[in-house]
Amino acid sequence: MTWLGSAATIAGKDLRLELKTRDVVASVGLFVLLVVVTASFAFPTTGEGREAVAAGVLWIAFLFAALLGMGRSMAIEKEESCLEGLLVSPAPREAIFLGKLLANLGFTFAVELLILPVFVVLLELRVAGAALLVLSAFLGTLGIVTVGTLFAAMAVNTRGREAILPLLVMPIAVPAMIAAVETTEAALTGAWTGGTTSWLLLSAGYDALFLMVAIATFPHVTEE
Amino acid sequence: MDAKTNAPSADLPEQIAPEAVAPEAGRARRRLIGIATLLSIPILLYMGLVFAPEDAQQGPAQRIFYIHVPAAWIGFLAFFVVFVASIALLATGKRRYDDVAAASAEVGVVFTTGVLITGPLWGRPVWGVYWTWDPRLTSFMMLWLIYVSYLVLRGYVPEPARRARYSAVLGIVGFLDVPIVYLSVRWWRSEHPGQIVFERDGMPAEMLVSLLVGVAVFTLGYLYLMSLRLRVGRLRDRAEEEVAA
Repeated sequence: MTWLGSAATIAGKDLRLELKTRDVVASVGLFVLLVVVTASFAFPTTGEGREAVAAGVLWIAFLFAALLGMGRSMAIEKEESCLEGLLVSPAPREAIFLGKLLANLGFTFAVELLILPVFVVLLELRVAGAALLVLSAFLGTLGIVTVGTLFAAMAVNTRGREAILPLLVMPIAVPAMIAAVETTEAALTGAWTGGTTSWLLLSAGYDALFLMVAIATFPHVTEE
Repeated sequence: MDAKTNAPSADLPEQIAPEAVAPEAGRARRRLIGIATLLSIPILLYMGLVFAPEDAQQGPAQRIFYIHVPAAWIGFLAFFVVFVASIALLATGKRRYDDVAAASAEVGVVFTTGVLITGPLWGRPVWGVYWTWDPRLTSFMMLWLIYVSYLVLRGYVPEPARRARYSAVLGIVGFLDVPIVYLSVRWWRSEHPGQIVFERDGMPAEMLVSLLVGVAVFTLGYLYLMSLRLRVGRLRDRAEEEVAA
């Protein structure tokens, strides 16, 4: 089996499990909705300039969703020694990382696509650039999920378990978050500037850099 | 290292002075660095408070510069050492590199904490505010947060080999993240007020000399604290190996 084939198999395993249990999408989806609703009480989400607030609220919700989903996705591998099973399988470590990454990306991005229309309706937003909105959601999520999948594999073996994951991910994910908020705001207001292109490039560059670093270091994380 | 003492006899008392277990070779050198650090601190105080001329615009408040900037530079150096030691650990698996990374991260956090305390003290009289979300300040805060989380992670992993590898991964990812953080907050705060402090043309020679003395003193302090923490790390390694054995 090829490298990518193994990764696809692992991601497929997570997908089939999810289709049977609907654990992640249901719990994370509801959680995102709750964050958005709660944040709407906490922040001024009506009137002029609400696009900037909305972009921030949306990304706080997405970040929490990704953290919750990734912690869960690695926790199920600890049950019944699934992770050990994966590690002794002939699949290279890089493929295991890529498989978990694809699964995490898929779930988080699916939840985001479900919640975006609800969010737009609830906050009376006019989406000026739907394609840019989806693109920035994808690039931002890829960045968060890349460092998150790497750190989740570490966090699950610590005394803190899931509690430690946000502490590791949040400082590192700051550039991805800033870029995602900026591009999302541009998508909501329709004010595409030269800066927007720079932010997209920064987002993509962040993703590419940490994808390489994570693939290079993941074998060390799972070495026993 | 101290390979000759790896056969502990059964009748050793529970509390042993470290020297009884391993006569330490670097002890004299460490003391020398410690004394040199101690002696150099009054020199820096003299240089910063008396020798350097008073800043025409900022007045005496500017004198905090001679500890603020050296602490920041040596803090950066400390985190660079963490980065290099982390790569070396993953490449070789030698536990010694983990001791270096851990010691340097601890000292770096101490120094950068000093920067984050002296900065607002300087900012208040000069800028009128303790804190501003300027790129340099914001990314420095992020740098500090990354390495605090590094120390927290170390505390959460009891197994030594695993702790070494996990923290090495964070030491690498964290260091690579710093330039991107700086770039992104610079774009985010595109209206930033300019580098008020650093854009002066031609600092007077007395100021520059005092700054360099500050850097030298902080380097000595870094080396001394490093050697202390490395010694502690080595003793901890040995204790953990004995527990495991």
